[in-house]
Amino acid sequence: MLNALSPTSVVASRAFFPPLLAAGFLLLLVVLASLLYGAGPVSARDAMAALMANGTEEAWFVVTELRLPRTIIALVTGLALGLAGALLQSMTRNPLAEPGLLGVSAGSGFAVALAILLGATTATLTTLVAQLGALAGCALVIAATRVQGLGNDPVRLVLAGATLTGLLLALTSMLMLMDQRAADEIRFWITGSVAGKPLSILWATLPSITLALVLIAIAARPLAAMALGEKAAVGLGHHPGRIRFLITFTVALLVGSATALAGPLIFVGLVVPFIARAFSGPDIRKTLWLCVPVGPAVVLGADVVSRLIAAPAEMPLGVITALIGAPVLLAIVRAGRMPSL
Amino acid sequence: MSLTETSTLMAEYITLAHRQFIVAENLSLRLPPGKVTAIVGPNGCGKSTLLNGLARIHALRDGSVLLDGKDIHRLPSKEVARKLALLPQDNTAPEGLTVADLVRFGRQPHQGWMAQWSKEDQQAFDQAIQAADVAELAGRALDTLSGGQRQRAWIAMAVAQQTPLLLLDEPTSALDLGHQIEVFELIRALSGQGKTIAMVVHDLASACRYADHMVAMKNGTIIEEGAPAEIVSPELVQELYGVSCDLIHDPATGSPLLVNVRRNR
Amino acid sequence: MPDKRNALVNTTLLGLLILATIISLATGTVQVSLLDTLRALAGNADPMTDFVINELRLSRVIAGLLSGAALAMAGCLMQTLARNRLATPGIIGIDNAATAFAVASVVGVGLSLAPSAMALAGAAAATAIAFGLAGANGTRGYRFIVAGIGIGAIAGAVTQVMLSRVAIDAANAAYPWTVGSLNARSGQSVLVLGMGLTAGYLVLMSLSRALNTLQFTDAVAIALGTRLKATRIIGLGLAVMLTGLAVSVCGPVGLIALLAPELARALYRPGKVPLTAAALTGASFMLIADLLGRTLFAPLEIPVGIITAIVGSPYLLWILLKPSPRSLT
Repeated sequence: MLNALSPTSVVASRAFFPPLLAAGFLLLLVVLASLLYGAGPVSARDAMAALMANGTEEAWFVVTELRLPRTIIALVTGLALGLAGALLQSMTRNPLAEPGLLGVSAGSGFAVALAILLGATTATLTTLVAQLGALAGCALVIAATRVQGLGNDPVRLVLAGATLTGLLLALTSMLMLMDQRAADEIRFWITGSVAGKPLSILWATLPSITLALVLIAIAARPLAAMALGEKAAVGLGHHPGRIRFLITFTVALLVGSATALAGPLIFVGLVVPFIARAFSGPDIRKTLWLCVPVGPAVVLGADVVSRLIAAPAEMPLGVITALIGAPVLLAIVRAGRMPSL
Repeated sequence: MSLTETSTLMAEYITLAHRQFIVAENLSLRLPPGKVTAIVGPNGCGKSTLLNGLARIHALRDGSVLLDGKDIHRLPSKEVARKLALLPQDNTAPEGLTVADLVRFGRQPHQGWMAQWSKEDQQAFDQAIQAADVAELAGRALDTLSGGQRQRAWIAMAVAQQTPLLLLDEPTSALDLGHQIEVFELIRALSGQGKTIAMVVHDLASACRYADHMVAMKNGTIIEEGAPAEIVSPELVQELYGVSCDLIHDPATGSPLLVNVRRNR
Repeated sequence: MPDKRNALVNTTLLGLLILATIISLATGTVQVSLLDTLRALAGNADPMTDFVINELRLSRVIAGLLSGAALAMAGCLMQTLARNRLATPGIIGIDNAATAFAVASVVGVGLSLAPSAMALAGAAAATAIAFGLAGANGTRGYRFIVAGIGIGAIAGAVTQVMLSRVAIDAANAAYPWTVGSLNARSGQSVLVLGMGLTAGYLVLMSLSRALNTLQFTDAVAIALGTRLKATRIIGLGLAVMLTGLAVSVCGPVGLIALLAPELARALYRPGKVPLTAAALTGASFMLIADLLGRTLFAPLEIPVGIITAIVGSPYLLWILLKPSPRSLT
């Protein structure tokens, strides 16, 4: 009996708050860096002075009107993608199930492109469309994991996702070829970036993100139970079908919002839970909590890098996340913890 | 079919390793010509590795395997394949491959750079499917056959190579009793035609029954070697497998039989 | 043993390829009759037709034909070497890496070598990395493929970086490479591809027996006298070369390398690696896809890479999602 209990107690006693606090502190540093460094003729020193409320008017403008909105958008995007990745991986029990890799982001991007081509312009409409696209993508992924033999074959699922992404990108390219005017606007949406996005999009996505957070609060406990297997979850009085539906919907809300904010950012949903799990262990509830500081830190950190690495030009954020994410993907595969490898 | 040529295969002081892990060290072994040699031993004793080392599949860390007196790793692979055939464990074939297709592959070592299928190839092919008794199965796809039939087809491929030497790695491991007998009797028949055969056998009783010569391995070393009737004893069984048994002789064949096998007290 | 079925398959595919070639030549803004097309090829048509066929269209059709054949052969080769029908250059990121290098050459980043040479270097680098990361499992299993997905993603990102850093003209010049199109070809790249394809095909034909044995396990292949290492190295080297040279002409039209060998394998007798049939099929696929791209929404031209992605991805998805895991490897 004692033997049977001890592994659990080891996990339970794993230090949880120190990493959480460390991640929070790191996040603060990244936010500061984001406000201090970036485009505009304002040095880090001037920006610091502005933050201390004794800088120039120009510095104040750059920091609060240009850098602050961008910082906030990056934070929210990171929060949404990190949580979405953790949820999807937990539900599919597949460490590679990342919304970007599985085609959810591409579905969202394609829907946006289609809507723009059909004449959509307002931020609200685009957000809604992005979410609908993400929902369709999510539904496809869930359907795919229910296919026999695929659910427990992480890599095959990822390959299917990569194929779906390729297909959607091809279709998006075709739409762009058809209409040059729309092409520029579509490019603005489908290049992963948080630069120059108006805060109005943020207001449009906030309700869905809030709703998603509420849903997570409701679903976290049964989701943790589902990690024991569906039958065990039923035995504990949960309804796996309902939970799956709820999580799917939540992931769609989150990824759709993130895509509306920053375009399809691949790999964020992989990297963030990967880091979080390293500290939280297998309990999805702890993982989710850790994703709250880690997700924003990763995306904002990548954004700061994208501003600095090629200054004065900027590198697309999506490129940086891909450069960070691909090695993590390889690391996960190399670690060989996946059942079918 | 009888073979006019014979070949000798021997290992001299060979060391075999999986990465850093030494499986067998300083082993020497000579296959008696024209006989069936069975290599036996507990799981993980290195018997399959030894067979693969003899067949140049597994690289040697040290020492040499000599085929007709020449270092097997220095000989052209094709020349080796004309003298030595191997039936590995866990074989897979492309989907839909027929028995005839498979057996034809056995002629590859004899075919030139761009040469077409020759008369000798056809002869060897016919003899092989007869010897292995798969003539009626020739047009069937491998994936539609029973385990025993499939194993006979693979043996037919090895026979089609027309080699004086044949090595088999656990040829009956996944087969039920009937199919095991089928395969072992085929091996005996091939030996009757003059082939020198070595096989890794999981089951000591089958080895006693069908081998002329037995090599008993434990922890990467050969602890006993000789005719089964001479070397198999309760002490050997105890040393190999850590179990007690009594020994009687098969009234029909005279080969040793293990009975009353049990855990030590 | 003469193989009637495979000979018949090859002949039929060759016939279809010739038909696809003539239709490709005849079709376009100026429609030429099939008969006049043949006349123009034979050198006795009126100057106008002669110009349209031999000056405007022939070089494009040849480029498509060669690159389709090269990609399909490379795909077939890699599938055989890896014993995995998904392990084709496009999926394991070789296309993307070759593209990144070719784009670098076009936009003038880094070495100023010809696109062919750069694409080759990119293909070789990606392959080496994929193998390095695959580790002890080698090309078997999915680790290799996931390594490739990662490499492809990085290469794609790098291509984007380069395009975002250069002047709009240079970016436009490099654009066809990012989607896969026959518009980016240069005469020189096509010539190099033609020579590489011919040499590669001859070497592969001499290796075909050895390649056939690779469909079994390593032990069986060695037992049958195949020089495993040499065959692997030569085969992989040729696959890399064919991919690199093809990408320098047509960009990443990756799915052809998967689809063409699939079809060829289905038609061929099991046990033979369908290199010739794959090459013929790949060439036809490329021509037909390009033809569709040119005509479907004319005068708008859809790059051939987009057409193959839209047509081919659903098929690949079907392979991946149908519940029969065994047939995958």
